Amino acid sequence: MKFHLVAAAAALLVGFAGAAEAHGPTRQKTTQSIEINAAPDKVWTVIGNFQDMSWLPPVEKTEGAGGNDKDATRTLTLKGGATVKEQLTKYDADAKTYAYRITEVDVKVLPVSNYSSHISVKGEGDKSTVTWQGAFYRGFPNNDPPPELSDEAAIKAVNELYQAGLASVKEKVEKGS
Amino acid sequence: MRAALVALSLVVAGAACADEAFVTNQTGDDLTVLDLAAGKAVATIPIGGKPAGVAVSADGARVYVTSPEGKSLTVIDAAARTVIDRIALEGGPLGVSVHPSGTPVYVADWYAKHVLVVDPAARAVTARVEVGASPSGLAVTPDGATLLSADRDSDQVSLVDLRTLKRVATIPVGQRPFGVTIDRDGRRAYTANVASNDVSVIDLATQKVVGVVKVGERPYVVGLAAGKAFVSNQYDESVSVFDVSTLKTLATIPVGEYPEGVEASADETKIYVANWFSNAVSVIDVATLKVDRSLDVGDGPRAFGAFIRATPAQAGP
Repeated sequence: MKFHLVAAAAALLVGFAGAAEAHGPTRQKTTQSIEINAAPDKVWTVIGNFQDMSWLPPVEKTEGAGGNDKDATRTLTLKGGATVKEQLTKYDADAKTYAYRITEVDVKVLPVSNYSSHISVKGEGDKSTVTWQGAFYRGFPNNDPPPELSDEAAIKAVNELYQAGLASVKEKVEKGS
Repeated sequence: MRAALVALSLVVAGAACADEAFVTNQTGDDLTVLDLAAGKAVATIPIGGKPAGVAVSADGARVYVTSPEGKSLTVIDAAARTVIDRIALEGGPLGVSVHPSGTPVYVADWYAKHVLVVDPAARAVTARVEVGASPSGLAVTPDGATLLSADRDSDQVSLVDLRTLKRVATIPVGQRPFGVTIDRDGRRAYTANVASNDVSVIDLATQKVVGVVKVGERPYVVGLAAGKAFVSNQYDESVSVFDVSTLKTLATIPVGEYPEGVEASADETKIYVANWFSNAVSVIDVATLKVDRSLDVGDGPRAFGAFIRATPAQAGP
């Protein structure tokens, strides 16, 4: 299973979201959050390790280097074999937040470029809120994109990914030990 | 003497308070007009086409806004805060700058290797000036003689003679220059280099880079005030400040998320920073290097260009 499937018309546009590559003119943003019936510390034990993204359903394996230090890297292997390479840009365990960016992804897997993201846990007592936000450009670097690589397609794909990930965290935490 | 100085500074501060900000909200498809004295939004002007670039004319009469998705240039009567024209363009209009005389307007086409010369009265593109790849930020020297284009994907700045409309020089800078800013005496220019996380300092007389200053992650543009350079770091939620004489870093100021457009007040006592993700403008005090306050704007403010309008001081109409 891929993060997202786009039409075969996009097959020629095998782009890699390297550092500051060419991109469209309009950066997109999204924020998704979920309430979890558990203490923030408990939620953080599930999502707080950059080297373990097993809480995101499409991810089969996380391999990386650098732990949770700034500039740490990880490669996510998705069910079906596609990979996504990411780099940690900020990590604050006390504030329960970190930021990272995608350094390499095929637009057929996730139709975005120049993607960066923050995730954080806040809360009190036995209530937490996980907030996941992303900033990215569409997968098509030029004007007049095909529909599957449009701004709308990028937002839809990221929203679906975030919603699936957050639901999975909630389930793991609330049903977990 | 001291009292006189204080009185003078009060007068200057008072005049500066008449500034307005014209902030392009790309996600929201509109523009927020901020009254910077009152510290609040006083108008929202619908634009469309995902507005990004903005240029207030030197006399403050007009504001030009680019819409890269809508392929247009919107002309705003700044005092009336109304759209008076929308000129159809081509490609991906992004960076914009107005000639100090008020016309023409220069528009960078993000997808082409040229800058459009637009005559707003004739509502027409009168020339296309060859530059490098993905021209982004534009700036005209105060004497109106030269246009600078930050050619993002060529890692250079192009210098265009505005009399002949020919490129006369290219200056290699850091990687992926986005914003370019010329100081008020036309002596130096500064590019924010997105991929190399630094600022190139260009001496315009010799057309050479005379300094490189490391800043934060993904710098967007440089704002200048009172001998200091303020650089928005998109990925660091911060503004780097350095001294333009020594090129030494003075401070890193926390601001909102994804800071982008930066510009100084007319009297150079304040710096305004548009925070794209936070939907707010941070107001930085140039003397203390602290954020004074944060002003709400629309969704996805970019304010890429000259977005501060110095309105007539209290003595005016």
